[in-house]
Amino acid sequence: MSTFNPIEFRGVRKAFRFFTLDDLSLDLEPGQIMGFVGPNGAGKSTTIRLALGLLTPDAGEVRLFGHRMPEAQAVAKRDIGYVSDEMRLFQNATVGWHLRFVASIYPGWDEDYARTLLKRFNLRTEQTVKGLSSGEQMKAVLLLALARRPKLLVLDEPTANFDPVARHEVLGEFTDVLRDESRSILFSSHNTVDVERISDRIAFIDRGRLIDSRDKEDFLERWRRIELQVPAGATLPEIPHVVGRESDGQFATLTINQFTKDTLARLGGAVRRVHRMSLEEIFVANVMHHRETRSS
Amino acid sequence: MYSGIHISQTDERPMYLQIMEQIRQRIAAGDWAAGKELPSIRALAAGLSVSVITVKRAYLDLESEGVIVTRHGKGSFVAEVNGLAGELQEAKLDEHLEAAAVIARGLGLTDEELAARLRRAARDLEKKK
Amino acid sequence: MNPLTRKLIERELHMHRWMIGASILAGLAGLAFVARGGSINFNVGFLIWLTTIVAFGVVVAMFGIASERKERVMNWVLSLPVAHGDYVRIKVVALLLCFCVVWITLSAAAIGLILAQPGLPDGLLPFAVLLCVFMLGNYSFVVCSALHVHSEGPMTIVIVVHNIAITLFMFAVAAIGDISSHMQGPVAVWNPAFWTVLVVELAVFLLLFTLPFFVAARRRDFI
Repeated sequence: MSTFNPIEFRGVRKAFRFFTLDDLSLDLEPGQIMGFVGPNGAGKSTTIRLALGLLTPDAGEVRLFGHRMPEAQAVAKRDIGYVSDEMRLFQNATVGWHLRFVASIYPGWDEDYARTLLKRFNLRTEQTVKGLSSGEQMKAVLLLALARRPKLLVLDEPTANFDPVARHEVLGEFTDVLRDESRSILFSSHNTVDVERISDRIAFIDRGRLIDSRDKEDFLERWRRIELQVPAGATLPEIPHVVGRESDGQFATLTINQFTKDTLARLGGAVRRVHRMSLEEIFVANVMHHRETRSS
Repeated sequence: MYSGIHISQTDERPMYLQIMEQIRQRIAAGDWAAGKELPSIRALAAGLSVSVITVKRAYLDLESEGVIVTRHGKGSFVAEVNGLAGELQEAKLDEHLEAAAVIARGLGLTDEELAARLRRAARDLEKKK
Repeated sequence: MNPLTRKLIERELHMHRWMIGASILAGLAGLAFVARGGSINFNVGFLIWLTTIVAFGVVVAMFGIASERKERVMNWVLSLPVAHGDYVRIKVVALLLCFCVVWITLSAAAIGLILAQPGLPDGLLPFAVLLCVFMLGNYSFVVCSALHVHSEGPMTIVIVVHNIAITLFMFAVAAIGDISSHMQGPVAVWNPAFWTVLVVELAVFLLLFTLPFFVAARRRDFI
């Protein structure tokens, strides 16, 4: 069981009326945080639901720790903590009731850690869920998932309703999970700043397809925006891996997705500045580039 | 042990470089003495709330600079002889200067023009700080 | 039974405990009216008793299913080590248990009252039994529908049908001469007409009770 990847998708296809997730192959390795980024409607939540066995693929295979999903979902979920912004607790019960409930189901429940998180998240066991704000409810859901010390945490927009302080706290708990190298996290979020910070690996999804998946540092090293000034009459040397080009008059900006020292050498003196790109900028440029190539 | 290390995401410099610089500072200042064991990659990542891969990269680069030494299975330690780190940095500098000279030759710059550009670059660096 | 299943069933019962208690009291209060004798008290009391059971069924089914789905609590429950099919099966059993606590109590009390009260002819017994079993089937109808129907419009229609069905049933049974002609008699008459209706009722109940196990529980997608 420990030799299996926490998540494995092989050629997964899922068709809906207006949207199809197609040929999705994805691996999450143990001890990794994978950030899952995509525009709205790209298929992030669909992918996560397929992973949890809430949807059945039309083709292909989904396995969690080697368990085939959705058939073995009840067994697989013993080692998983799944949190989504689309879930809520029993509104009329208390935080404490939920703690006892979940603690009685999961043998790996860590009561001390649960108490620590209660303090850290500023929640009290006597509080009724109904009386909590949406951010606090989300924190409660996260607490219940974290305190069972799962081997895999699947998070779908977990910080959607959070103020910056709460986000900072929660992000700290996520990276803390990985102190144990046998535990992993799949983290889907619009918040590219957070994803950029804590992810080891990043997968981009757009319109039902996985368009890119590599180590975060790879992304950050390969992508650059280069500002150029080419005097009138002169032409720009052709360089490979240009995915975006904008110019007015003498000035141009190139977006490169495989930057090397060679690139600069080839461009020579035309280069005015080289900018690294944030994950958000890479993501937008990557999506635009793929949409263009797909339509052509 | 490392609560003073701070990673800024609005800084132009990548996170792994920030980590490297702050570790080098501590070693140079003597806070982290020669032979001292560094926190494990995972522990530092968790402590700074950054990805493991970023810390891994920082440690790998620090090791190739000779600033730290990694003993397989045991951990990473501040290198005993830190003069070595200086030598490696100087070798790196020479490498970069050679590459710059090649480009300059390609552009038809004279040695004086190249030197002037280098001085301007150094001045710009000061301005940025 | 695995511990999680037991806990989920217990939770359902625990969550509806006030409704269960209040319904039993209301139903018994209705029977208390009937016990006082006289046709006005009978009508009032019978109406209270009947409405209590019917209303309880609808409320529990709606709270237990439709609002859990709407409020996304279902999503959280499914993050626990339970498959979608399990969730459906557990729901059916748990909600039936909730209903049975009220139904068994109030049915037994009604039948007991008919037997004990001299003012109530024992001839009413077959009709009473048929009515009670009908309400069980009617409840299964609402639960089964709530598990398969996901939109509010059709579900509202289901509830209306469920509420009217009782009245329709009573008219229908009254039209069966073999049963209605003995209702006012001093002795309970268990004739073939009675048994036929009873068997049909039980068959319908079983069908509606088990349908979710074969349909809703087997759905490939849960969204």
